[in-house]
Amino acid sequence: MPGCDGIRDRLMDFIEGELSAEEHRPVEAHLRRCPQCSREVVGLREALARVQALPEPAASAHLLDGFAAAVQGRLAAERPRRLPFWRKAAARLDGFVRARPIPTFSAAAVLGILLVIGLVRTSGRPQVSPAPEVLVVGDSLSMAQHLDVLEQFDLLEDLDLLEQLPFLRGPGNNRPLTLS
Amino acid sequence: MPQSDSEVIRRVLDGETAAYEVLVRRYQQTVFRLAQRMTRNAEDARDLAQEAFVQAYRSLAGFRGHASFSTWLYRIAMNLCLSHLKATRREDPVEVDAGVADARDDSLTALLADERDRALAAAIEQLPPQQRATLTLRVHQGLSHREIAEVLDCAEGTAKANYFHAIRTLQRRLEAFRDTG
Repeated sequence: MPGCDGIRDRLMDFIEGELSAEEHRPVEAHLRRCPQCSREVVGLREALARVQALPEPAASAHLLDGFAAAVQGRLAAERPRRLPFWRKAAARLDGFVRARPIPTFSAAAVLGILLVIGLVRTSGRPQVSPAPEVLVVGDSLSMAQHLDVLEQFDLLEDLDLLEQLPFLRGPGNNRPLTLS
Repeated sequence: MPQSDSEVIRRVLDGETAAYEVLVRRYQQTVFRLAQRMTRNAEDARDLAQEAFVQAYRSLAGFRGHASFSTWLYRIAMNLCLSHLKATRREDPVEVDAGVADARDDSLTALLADERDRALAAAIEQLPPQQRATLTLRVHQGLSHREIAEVLDCAEGTAKANYFHAIRTLQRRLEAFRDTG
């Protein structure tokens, strides 16, 4: 059971009826057996009632005449406070999400899943390209073209016939180029 | 159907400055009463209330919408009032106008009641600013402790403690008044 110190923090909530039933019971039980706290509750209740009953401070009925116009007049000298476009977009998105959280997050989740599936599938799939056999043939032909020439050079070199080929002679001289 | 605060704010931020008058008219009475209870001076309260709306307009782009606009506006107004109280703090207690009373007869009971209200109003004015602010927001504006904590930028527990201490101080002032007659 709480003592006087444990109760004091909750007395205003007790007086204003803001305690749950579970919180209310121990406070009420303490007040039944503690005359000091019980007197304090009576005094606090009376003080609160007196403050609530205090009349409004005196003010002329026309004091707020033209109030809004006066405020707008002061603001007329200021530039309109516009949000930058990215803040507006963020604010609208934030408002949309707050207004429709479940559909928004569901849609985002579905989009995210579709994106992941798409990435996984495209990363495993080979690029659109000619049939492999065509590629092989094409590559071989290309290699073959150069290989043919290279092999010819090798053969010719082996046969010491390379130096006899005129196009291999350097310009302006008759000395054959040597392949290194 | 009147537009919500957030709809009006969006219009203002889109450049429609004239729309701000909707918010001013909607909250001018409340903000003025708040300032009047804090300052106990109607002219000061009007000036502070005007300044609160001007400052709120300047900061409107920073209003995130997590709290209600009214709570946010009260925060601006209360800060202005607390600064005003600090700047105009008096050493001697002043004669406080307890308020406009209903037509009363000259009976002793009525006179005593009037004296008691004056003593109570004076005691409220002498409360520490944070306790006075909490009391005003709770009793006269009807804010929850959570909302008061947002307005005064303090923990909810602090707001509750300030409220309790304010009421207890006034309780003791009333007891003293009763004892001295």
